[in-house]
Amino acid sequence: MEALEMYTTDERSDVYTEELKLNLGPQHPSTHGVLRVELKMDGEIITDSRCDIGYLHRCAEKIGENVTYLQFTPYTDRMDYLASMNNNLAWSLTVEKLMGLEVPERAQWLRMICSELNRIASHLIAFGTYGIDIGANTPFFYAFRERESIMQLLERPSGARMLYNYIQPGGVRRDVDDNWIGDVLAFCDEFEKRWAEYNTLLSNNYIFIKRTANIGILTQSMALDYGCTGPVLRGSGVRWDLRRDVPYLEPYDEVDFDVPVGEGTHGALGDCWDRYWVRMREMMESIRIIRQGCAKLPGGEVMTKKQTSMYKSPMKAAEGAHAYMRCENPRGELAFYAVSEGGTSPIRLRARAPSFCNLAVLDQLLPGTMLGDGVAIIGSLDIVLGEVDR
Amino acid sequence: MGMNEREIHALLTASGIDGVGGLEQPDLDPTVVLQPSALVEVMTLLRDDERLAMEMLHCVTAVDREDRVDVVYHVCSFARHHALTLRTSVAKPDDADESWHPEVPSVASVYAAADWHEREQWDLLGVHFTGHPDLRRLLLPPEWIGHPLRKDYVYPSEHGGIPLELDAVPIYERDEREDTPPVAEPRPAGTPLNQPPSAPSARPHAGGKAPAKKEGEG
Amino acid sequence: MGLLNNTMPANAVTNAVDGAVNWGRKSSLWPMTFGIACCAIEMMAVFAATYDLDRFGAGVPRATPRQSDLIIVPGTVNAKMAVRVKRLYDQMAEPRYVIAMGACVCGGGPYAKWGYNTVKGVHKIIPVDIFIPGCPPRPEALLDGILKLRENISRDDVFRRRRDTAQTLDSAYST
Repeated sequence: MEALEMYTTDERSDVYTEELKLNLGPQHPSTHGVLRVELKMDGEIITDSRCDIGYLHRCAEKIGENVTYLQFTPYTDRMDYLASMNNNLAWSLTVEKLMGLEVPERAQWLRMICSELNRIASHLIAFGTYGIDIGANTPFFYAFRERESIMQLLERPSGARMLYNYIQPGGVRRDVDDNWIGDVLAFCDEFEKRWAEYNTLLSNNYIFIKRTANIGILTQSMALDYGCTGPVLRGSGVRWDLRRDVPYLEPYDEVDFDVPVGEGTHGALGDCWDRYWVRMREMMESIRIIRQGCAKLPGGEVMTKKQTSMYKSPMKAAEGAHAYMRCENPRGELAFYAVSEGGTSPIRLRARAPSFCNLAVLDQLLPGTMLGDGVAIIGSLDIVLGEVDR
Repeated sequence: MGMNEREIHALLTASGIDGVGGLEQPDLDPTVVLQPSALVEVMTLLRDDERLAMEMLHCVTAVDREDRVDVVYHVCSFARHHALTLRTSVAKPDDADESWHPEVPSVASVYAAADWHEREQWDLLGVHFTGHPDLRRLLLPPEWIGHPLRKDYVYPSEHGGIPLELDAVPIYERDEREDTPPVAEPRPAGTPLNQPPSAPSARPHAGGKAPAKKEGEG
Repeated sequence: MGLLNNTMPANAVTNAVDGAVNWGRKSSLWPMTFGIACCAIEMMAVFAATYDLDRFGAGVPRATPRQSDLIIVPGTVNAKMAVRVKRLYDQMAEPRYVIAMGACVCGGGPYAKWGYNTVKGVHKIIPVDIFIPGCPPRPEALLDGILKLRENISRDDVFRRRRDTAQTLDSAYST
């Protein structure tokens, strides 16, 4: 650890230092939400850290036991509020597995296109806010300019800018209008040019590399042991992506895309820069998937017939059934576990959130680093407190 | 690729660990049933065996059923492309109330991911994981009473002075000297639901004097 | 304002001072960077380029409550967070304004019925000036709320102590 060696104190000096207890959060300008970390510091160096979460605990699992399967879909939106489509998709897949619902083909392709658009939007926030954490304010504005385009695109079928409630058990809520596909492809063309801009702005910036390379090195074994998934795991070199390895949507089998992993380009494998660069390349892979999806989008229904009557009589699952379904979210693997005893709502609903598991590794990564690097590490894990606390 | 759940279950049964039960729900989501005593051994086998190689504990869930408490574990392997669900149960005694905590051995020594998952299940359901290095509340405030996801949980009306009810009086309007009730009087019939708090009829009157009753209110 | 508080009835001089001071206060509202949940993302969108908040003078978010005079509360407040929200509000210097953004802080939102630890509206904890409903409210709605706050500030009385309750707005019309 280069940083520590530069700053060790001279044994002969008579400077008397005391351990400092510093409280980071729950309100702090790093816009990851209401996370609190209790730090013990020796000067600038963190010696111990304890995460304190629960500041956004909104009783989602208790609510799930009291509302019907369809009524819970908006609550999944609000868990990881940056990737609402993906959350909806994970919950819809769980309910479909539990009840044995068939989804029409057009709905599956629309689901894939919307999930990938939302993945880009989510990674854009990770890119923009990471810049702010490091001290660069401009990428934030660029990221939000692109995000506006995506939010306007997704507003057209779903009706909402951010919390869509669009992908529901049985299909998608409504069909897209005629010009939508053309506009999505126009966005893809525009985005590819902008992506090159982001790299000159931040990714290859000397200061950014100095701030993020060799910081927060997460080894493969530690990542697997702590349950890290998504770009955090891929940044450490494990080439695993549920979309390719356990495709939960049939269209993922029919499109071509790569799975980027960290390669230790600017420092050790599994540092902050690797995780950041995995997200950047995933944005381009999502563009590839979206283009292929738009080209191959079939016609037909978008919602299974059984579901359209759900508003009048809520559907029930078989008694004693329970199902677990994993889905690749921008932050990692989101999984829902629903246990049914024959009623209109599950008796137990568990959301396995990727940020929750990714955050558990923070208490191991922070000690030994300086405070500024600690902020960079938290930013590189890309957590959303809505799903950490649920 | 990888083994399917039946093959994994056969391997576990053949391993000779005492307490491995049957395979539940084979068509929907196959689940291996275990005794709590076999838990740590089976988890260690799942992690260390070459053919299974379950590197990651994906999720730990506790389920509060009528007659028992289930704890469900999901493990998965990236090298072998397979996953498994395991379930262990503790029967509820007849006199189980909010002070009863089912005991299940902790697998935090096998998978570090279990640390936070088990703390959360302790927090929300009151399942005591024996051998856990630091079992304390994770999501709720440390001085919270009760385990909310239990079926017999009673919602609190306030916590540490913070009002949690829909009709609660705002804390800056409570007069300490008077005996202001923490919950406002019920809305009179006909009052619109989305009344802003500054409307006079929605606030109890500080100062002890009974409000002059207008016609139609009260 | 200190010694001059409540010493004189409204007259031409106080009106002129009111106008100047209120114009200054409303044109440079300094919000605090305080994001709790989903509404915070729409608030960030308002700070960003498309729905620029800086054109209203409110574009310098301060990280510390001591330097800010506007707290926008976006996102559900629960029992654990309510203590901190109250503490942040207490640390702000007067005149301070509160905007409750989103359905959760207006009255509990989607978590009002079954949430065991959510506070059903942040007005139970701190006095609120503007409520902006929506889940999440559109950025235009937040801008509308800030414009309404500016209108209310322009009706403030500088030489009468501004009582920190929602009653203030009623009394501004009823004198």
